[in-house]
Amino acid sequence: MALVALRNVTKTYPAPEKGAPPVVAIDGVSLEIEPGDVYGIIGYSGAGKSTLVRLVNALEPATSGSIEVDGREITTMPERELRGIRLGIGMIFQQFNLFNSKTVWANIAYPLTVAGASKGEIASRVAELLEFVGLAGKAKNYPDQLSGGQKQRVGIARALATSPRLLLADEATSALDPETTQEVLALLKRVNREFGVTIIVITHEMDVIQSIATKVAVMDGGRVIEHGDVFDVFSNPQNPSSQRFVGTVVKGIPSPAELAVLQERHEGRIVTISFRDGDASQAAVFVALATAGVEFELVYGGINDIQGRAFGHLTLAIRGEDATVDTVLAEISSRVDVTEVS
Amino acid sequence: MDRLFELGSEFWVAAAETLYMVAATLVIGGFFGLLLGVVLYSTRPGSLLSNRAVFNIVNVVINFFRPIPFIIFIAAVQPFARYVIGTGIGNDALIFSLSIASSFAIARIVEQNLVTVSPGVVEAAKAMGAGPLRILRTVVIPEALGPLILGYTFVLVAIVDMTAMAGFIGGGGLGNFALVYGYRQYEPAITWAALLIIVIFVQSLQFLGNWLARKVMRR
Repeated sequence: MALVALRNVTKTYPAPEKGAPPVVAIDGVSLEIEPGDVYGIIGYSGAGKSTLVRLVNALEPATSGSIEVDGREITTMPERELRGIRLGIGMIFQQFNLFNSKTVWANIAYPLTVAGASKGEIASRVAELLEFVGLAGKAKNYPDQLSGGQKQRVGIARALATSPRLLLADEATSALDPETTQEVLALLKRVNREFGVTIIVITHEMDVIQSIATKVAVMDGGRVIEHGDVFDVFSNPQNPSSQRFVGTVVKGIPSPAELAVLQERHEGRIVTISFRDGDASQAAVFVALATAGVEFELVYGGINDIQGRAFGHLTLAIRGEDATVDTVLAEISSRVDVTEVS
Repeated sequence: MDRLFELGSEFWVAAAETLYMVAATLVIGGFFGLLLGVVLYSTRPGSLLSNRAVFNIVNVVINFFRPIPFIIFIAAVQPFARYVIGTGIGNDALIFSLSIASSFAIARIVEQNLVTVSPGVVEAAKAMGAGPLRILRTVVIPEALGPLILGYTFVLVAIVDMTAMAGFIGGGGLGNFALVYGYRQYEPAITWAALLIIVIFVQSLQFLGNWLARKVMRR
């Protein structure tokens, strides 16, 4: 059974001024998140990702639709009962949101106090968590004495304090440098593997999805426009707007402006070939081009790796007689996706 | 100067009265001010217990009383003081009106400092399952404690200033002492002696407030 199930969920905010239409933040989203998933939700800012994740722990009430967490419908639940649900859902934030007036120790202890744990339980659990996130020596420090990466590790420890089954990560690495980002992502991976915590990761960064997500949903304009296995969605997006989004985050796809420059700089026909792990190899494509006797050069491209599987896009400028080029393109398009640009 | 020595004991009694009025007002006005300030903060739209009706009522009441000059306010609430504490004159009557006036001022200062607490931190506490009252008590107030102490210090200095009007309704204190024995009897030395003690008093309060706030904010 899905740990989180959203069915046709919408969220609208009242109009910002009189006469304006209400703002639709989430527009009919249905998603199922299975236990053990690291589910990435990616999209431009303003796509509704942060709102969506806040519906899951009911920080924002849904306008319509149904949201089930661990089999319990939360959209109709009274506030008092929701607090109990929230104890079972950890959350980490882009700006960490640590209590600056409390020590690292007291920050991590806070949710345990809310849950009504005894002093002894709190002490042993906090010590355990500090050890897990590698901050055992910082218990008595205050958040403003820590680096960004350390703050997020405190955030993670605090979110895990009550041993939740679900962790919501709202742009958790967006305020960190690339190296620290990898550190935090590695920690989240451990949280998923060692404790079996299901994680929903909100991000606008491809790297984050690439390194930890097992499944992904692409959001645009309050809708989930595509979702599924990370490799499938990124190597072969089906929906035109998800293709556009994927094009901006995946390596090797030239933007229209870049294409214009390529066309100007290179003679011949500009063709993008896209290949995926498991399909015909690049080698076969290059052999076909060489034996056909056309001249070609590689003008743009990139290879992506998602969980050990590769896919890529290579843009070639091909010169030769039109008929010959047509024949060879027809031949290779049986093996890989070919998009002719000009 | 000789006159000052003759009045020695009365001078110290006046100083003690000022101290008493300030301390009592701080406790009573400080408490109700904190309460009103927290109500303003938590009932404003989008806040923890947002409630437009309560917010608007408290807001209007505070705005109504705040601009009234204190000396007129003393006179205006005198019948009310008689009813509540049994007397309309003396130090206690002054404490009564001063507590009301200062709780309105403190409410504003509390509200201003609480709104600076990052909404993200409040959201984090909510996400941990904490209820609104717990969040107010264990997150919002502690997070704003440093600026709150500075705000209270600021109001405290104004309270010292206002205790000087106690003489108006038959109360004592250093302000009254300066007027009665200094000003009216052409003894500038006495006025200045009272003034000096008030300055020392205010300076120590400010110093104490700054020190406490620094300690709380750890900088």
